[in-house]
Amino acid sequence: MGTAASVALMHWSADARPLTTSDGELAMAIASAPPGAAEAEESELYRRFAHRVRLYGLKHLRDGAAADDLAQQVLLVTIERLRAGEVRNPGEIGSFILGTSRMLADSIGRKARRREKLTAQFHVPELYAEPALASNDLEVVERCLHGLAERDRRVLVLTFYVEKTSSEIASELGVTATVVRVARHRALERLRECVGQPAGRTA
Amino acid sequence: MTTTRCPAPIGFADVVDYWAGDLSRAEEDRIEEHVFACADCARELASAEALSREIASVAREGRLHSVVTDAMLNRLAADGVRIRTYTLDGSGIIPCAVWADDDLVVSRIRANFDDADSVTIVARQASGAEISRVSDVSVRPGQREILNAFSAAHLRALPATRVDVVVTAQIGGSERTIAEYTLEHAGAFDRLGGGR
Repeated sequence: MGTAASVALMHWSADARPLTTSDGELAMAIASAPPGAAEAEESELYRRFAHRVRLYGLKHLRDGAAADDLAQQVLLVTIERLRAGEVRNPGEIGSFILGTSRMLADSIGRKARRREKLTAQFHVPELYAEPALASNDLEVVERCLHGLAERDRRVLVLTFYVEKTSSEIASELGVTATVVRVARHRALERLRECVGQPAGRTA
Repeated sequence: MTTTRCPAPIGFADVVDYWAGDLSRAEEDRIEEHVFACADCARELASAEALSREIASVAREGRLHSVVTDAMLNRLAADGVRIRTYTLDGSGIIPCAVWADDDLVVSRIRANFDDADSVTIVARQASGAEISRVSDVSVRPGQREILNAFSAAHLRALPATRVDVVVTAQIGGSERTIAEYTLEHAGAFDRLGGGR
């Protein structure tokens, strides 16, 4: 590992770097700058990827605090490796971050000490990550959920609250797993429209 | 974050299946590789995550007015949701009430659902005002019980009243009443004061 990183809090301004800057260009800017001299780019990289790593952590670690820790660790390692010129292909920085996420998530339980060491090694006063998607008003979600057909509502609750697989839900409802999966994504789409949450993709 | 639109977006169905844990390891890898290269699809995944988290919150807070399953009730109980249960089986008036520390009230509706394509359950006050209605409840062959949940907060707003529960079934294209129950709802109570 290279020199200890110190990543200052940056309030990223959209004017400071064109929004069209690709992830790879950002990573190359960090890799080509003297260590610590590309703070704005480092903060922007963090902003772009911390939430994605957190989602990965939620999916695989099933724990919000562990996912937060994972996001911080992965981005710190990424920035440190970029600064040290140890990322072979900065143009594919997303792949590097995913690989690091997988590696650290796999070992997170066994390597708690390593996590403490990283936190101590890297002085990180504050980092700005794009916040998780803002929560909808729970009353609105409740109303919309109850506006769904009974079976669709049951599928959503069994999936996302009870954490049953489509096969388990299928046997409970007496239908096929395919029927459950189709009902589930259509119901979630309807719920999203009802609560007024825009689709994630840019229009 | 860049505003470039994804040229080959992951379908929402795949995003949801991924988040629900219904994809193979290879399919999961494919989704993850795409999400880490595409801000557009990462936002789509974040949208699914936010909705799934909110659905779980509605359930965890006992705010379901819905047909539930024993698996749901087990999970709710494990999460500390306080559940009061009444069994609706046979004739006679069933006394009931809602207490201050109840979160969820569940009626276990027992009937013969054989031949039913789907079931509708309607609960009404003595005044005729509808308390709840769940329609198109699917039933499996041999099923003898449907669990209908109410938010206790919702029931606390009810006056003391008789409650009539009518269960109808769609059988071969026609609707038929297959069970009727009467509850005497005494109102909302707390353990110390005893009254409303």
